[in-house]
Amino acid sequence: MKRYPCSGCSLLCDDIIVKSDGLFIEEVIGACLKGKERFDQVSAKNRITSPMIRKNNELTDVSWEEALAKTVEIIKNSSAPLLYGFSNVTCEAQKAGMDLAREINGFIDSNASICQGKILNKAKSQGINLTTITEIINKVDLIILWGANPAETIPRLLNKVLFSRGKFRMTGREIKTLIIIDPVKTASFRVMGVRDLALIIEPDKDVELIQMLKEECCSVDSIPSGGVAGLDKNDLKRLLLHLTGAENGVIILGQGIIQPHANYDLIEELLDLLQLINTRQVKGRISLLLLGGHFNMAGFDHVALSSYGVSGKLQFENKKLVISEDTIISKINKENFDCSIIVGTDPISHLPHSLSSKLAKNPLILIDNHKSATSHIADVVLPTAITGIESSGLVYRIDQVPIELKKILNPPNNIPSDEELLNQLIEKLNGGAK
Amino acid sequence: MEALNNLDFLLNTIRKIDNDQAKEYSFGNEQSLEENLAIAFINPKDFDKLNLVPSLHLKISNKQRNIVVKIEKDDNIQEGIISMPVSIWSNQLTEILKNELVYKNIVVSVEATREPILKFKEIIQKIRGIE
Amino acid sequence: MELYKYLPKTNCKECGKPTCMAFSLDLLQGKAKVDDCPPILKPKYKKQYEKLKQLLGSEEGQEKELRINVDEDLCDGCGICVTICPVNARYCPPSLSGKAPEYPPEKHQLFQVIGGKCELLNLEHCRRLDSEGRERECRVCETYCPREAIKIEYV
Repeated sequence: MKRYPCSGCSLLCDDIIVKSDGLFIEEVIGACLKGKERFDQVSAKNRITSPMIRKNNELTDVSWEEALAKTVEIIKNSSAPLLYGFSNVTCEAQKAGMDLAREINGFIDSNASICQGKILNKAKSQGINLTTITEIINKVDLIILWGANPAETIPRLLNKVLFSRGKFRMTGREIKTLIIIDPVKTASFRVMGVRDLALIIEPDKDVELIQMLKEECCSVDSIPSGGVAGLDKNDLKRLLLHLTGAENGVIILGQGIIQPHANYDLIEELLDLLQLINTRQVKGRISLLLLGGHFNMAGFDHVALSSYGVSGKLQFENKKLVISEDTIISKINKENFDCSIIVGTDPISHLPHSLSSKLAKNPLILIDNHKSATSHIADVVLPTAITGIESSGLVYRIDQVPIELKKILNPPNNIPSDEELLNQLIEKLNGGAK
Repeated sequence: MEALNNLDFLLNTIRKIDNDQAKEYSFGNEQSLEENLAIAFINPKDFDKLNLVPSLHLKISNKQRNIVVKIEKDDNIQEGIISMPVSIWSNQLTEILKNELVYKNIVVSVEATREPILKFKEIIQKIRGIE
Repeated sequence: MELYKYLPKTNCKECGKPTCMAFSLDLLQGKAKVDDCPPILKPKYKKQYEKLKQLLGSEEGQEKELRINVDEDLCDGCGICVTICPVNARYCPPSLSGKAPEYPPEKHQLFQVIGGKCELLNLEHCRRLDSEGRERECRVCETYCPREAIKIEYV
């Protein structure tokens, strides 16, 4: 039976059976609830299938010519456009977005810069050990979840890595140790067995734990008897023994560990600790896996690197790339922009009020396929085909492995894909200039 | 001794599969959005300390803004912590530090209240600066 | 298990079962009555006898069927139950190496994830019905479900 990849989350399971007659999706087998909801978006109640423009404070359906003309007008009237999103689209669309940014002298960045991209950025000066899902399934004997809750965000991850018997770990669950470090007892704690270790740490005290581990890296004798960060001495001893004794361990990082602090940098401390362990270990290795939400969060940096030689955000002036210290947060905060193009994300719901209110002050063009808070304030809404079901392309998984998404159905009303729409905009802007 | 009405708590914004903003935007309506997302989870002992009952709401404030939400007990949360699902309501309280976003361990003060929960359209107007 | 706690735990086999654990399972399923255990009728076990009678109540001796309930509202389709069921695992299915289960499902596959939710296919091969000894007390699917959506009960 033909199996399709699922674009529900960044795990991109490529073994889903989809029964379809070419017009509708009849049955989805093997996908978790998040994947099923992704396939359901084809016929979702709040799906947008025609372009809209805000007239008299109400969004009204218009033709494609009118919507594209209005978009071009907004862009031409601005001198510092901002492009944001690009983690729910294919790599080809990300490249088209970067070409559009160059055409209009804009600043482009993706959701990765407020998520796992932060860790990869810090790793540029210290180095980082990454690993792939297949390596974890086959070789790992220690899994640490730090500030991550995959049972609620990526349901099939624990199934794949913890409960499977890899090629070199034939006894499977019995030989794998799970350690969870989290201040709240989340749903992921329920898959623990007798050999596993639950560390309910005091909130915001991760740095104390990391510093203690760095000092005691090889000796368990001088752990403070009162414990550290709310954890007692015996648990800390077991944690240290596992970290230094594991043959192949992986630390899965989530949102809890990438929070900023005023006096120290948690990510740098963690990367230092890992480097220390890896150099001191004689035969083992600890690597990292960075969890992220949208299915192509990892792809933006790869495309930027291969197309423009810079990984991460891009700032263009006079149709050329320039060096810039700004990030998307600083750009919005300083109100250093006069219009924004949002692609496949919902910043009005996801950013703090102080940023979303600044974003709402300027004209906003939204390229997305369902209603959201951002569509309620956008000036122009351009719908596109749903990636992974109605359009195909290349995307990157959480462990930086490329996956090819396939097309199963045709989009309604002949809606273009993200890549086609962005290329159309570039053509119209070019045509107008001449 | 802490004052019983205004205690300092730490606010965490989390993801839950049942309280998922993206799902409500695609498949639900404004009422289901408000029911599932304008909610906070608290330890039962803190629930009693604040003299809460299920019909009251909780007003959570940081230095700049405040938000009123529904309250629910949850045994798995430690005392002194409040969890809210990531939503347009919880983002009224999230902050920026050193040009990065702070989604966890935000210091807030809480109190029981009878004020109504802001509707979705009202928050949008607030973000646009129209009161 | 609660019933096993109150039995003599001597494995004397006077009831016809090899162990007290097996007898307690029969009690739960209504296939035996408390009086079928000769040692427990002795005076030194009076308290345990009365406790067992109280726990079983009027349902003592009534034949009960095994039912595994999957709560549709709680299930999130993670598929851990499919991978971890020992009956399926014995045949080295692809889910054991992190891949998706076969489709159409094999006859010994008890669970299947369809439409984002877990579905129980057939109960015949469940270890609680098919095997002897400790294996009959298998509760693996119920224990490891992260959403506590699976409940094993006798009705």
